[in-house]
Amino acid sequence: MSTAVADPTSGGTPEAPKSGGLSSKAKLWIGFGAFFAIFILLFLIFGNDGKNEAFKPQNEFKLEPWVSLHIGSLDLSINKAVLYLFLASGLTIFTMVWIAKRMQQKPMNRVQTAVEVSYDLTKNTITGGSLDGKLAAKWFPFIATLFFWIWFSNMIGFLPLPTNTEHEFTIFGLEIPSFAIYAATANLAIPLVLTLVVWISYHVEGIRTKGFVPYLKSWLPPGLENMSPIGRGAIFVIEVISHFVRLISLSVRLFANILAGHLLLLFMGGGLAVLLGIAALGALTFPLAFAFFIFEVGLVATLQAFIFATLSAIYIGGATSASH
Amino acid sequence: MDLTSLPIAEVTDEGVKGAGKAIALGVGAGLGSIGAGIGVGFIFGKEIESVARQPEMKSELESIRWLGFALTEAVAFYTFIFGLIAFFLS
Repeated sequence: MSTAVADPTSGGTPEAPKSGGLSSKAKLWIGFGAFFAIFILLFLIFGNDGKNEAFKPQNEFKLEPWVSLHIGSLDLSINKAVLYLFLASGLTIFTMVWIAKRMQQKPMNRVQTAVEVSYDLTKNTITGGSLDGKLAAKWFPFIATLFFWIWFSNMIGFLPLPTNTEHEFTIFGLEIPSFAIYAATANLAIPLVLTLVVWISYHVEGIRTKGFVPYLKSWLPPGLENMSPIGRGAIFVIEVISHFVRLISLSVRLFANILAGHLLLLFMGGGLAVLLGIAALGALTFPLAFAFFIFEVGLVATLQAFIFATLSAIYIGGATSASH
Repeated sequence: MDLTSLPIAEVTDEGVKGAGKAIALGVGAGLGSIGAGIGVGFIFGKEIESVARQPEMKSELESIRWLGFALTEAVAFYTFIFGLIAFFLS
């Protein structure tokens, strides 16, 4: 700590007469030093309020039932995850139908260009990369829908919407829930259902193209014809396990990426400062929140949708292809 | 050996429990990130190498690169999620 204080004072003073001769490395260190100096100054002013026990970060992901619906032991309550689900579905349907209705040749607007680029991506890169001919035409709508739905779901997850009913604020006498970010895909149930749909459909497609027993036989890698039945049985067990592991890996990948992104934004955007009771920490972490937000919106949200759709196509392709 | 005499067998102290959870989250997420970091660096390094060798393959390598990146990066998040489960849900 003391060295961090000493750095900016020694580095910050020579700014007046000849700062033009500084190398970019020195400028970088001065920048970092000034950053830390602001943090330490704020820390000295506001001090440490002690650990905050009342703030629970996990409550940001708690699903409060808005409309209680119970059928027997089945809980079908409407909560914010349901809202995000319907928002994502509505946006997917609306954008695609709206653009399809207004397709035009000559004056291309920007939305149409964007949709055409994403159509090309889903048709040629994702579906065309792993499936061919009739199968690609058959499964393209499914895989493209998966991509667009997950993409919209991820993207609206980064828009602050008034969904946090735990804390409300009043504006012009109107009680409005606090703005919070949440994504339907940050809840394990939704990626798991998508994964189950993909998992069952690629097995069904494999059985439909090859027949039940040949399909199970095709799980074995090629080149094992001379192996003893016991050895082949052992490899078959491993293949069965690998098919079940796909259920976990495909769903947890999407869920964990989105959840970790939201947690990171939550902690960097002030959660850490509140939790530790050090108000000055907010000044240090808030610029990082911007950087992570751009990273999440620009890369992770699209990439995870792309990965989910690509892997679905690869699984369907693997189940139907002739060799293995 | 009598297991109950070991401190590991009876964790009734709240402080020790909390410390264990914090260690689970910190060590789990930290070590997981090391592995995934090496893997992601390896993928991008190899991709740069391949493009330097065969620049005409750039567009074809792009989608494979992102696929590899996302598959590797997810490993860090598996450990992170299990750490969070240990910290918040146990």
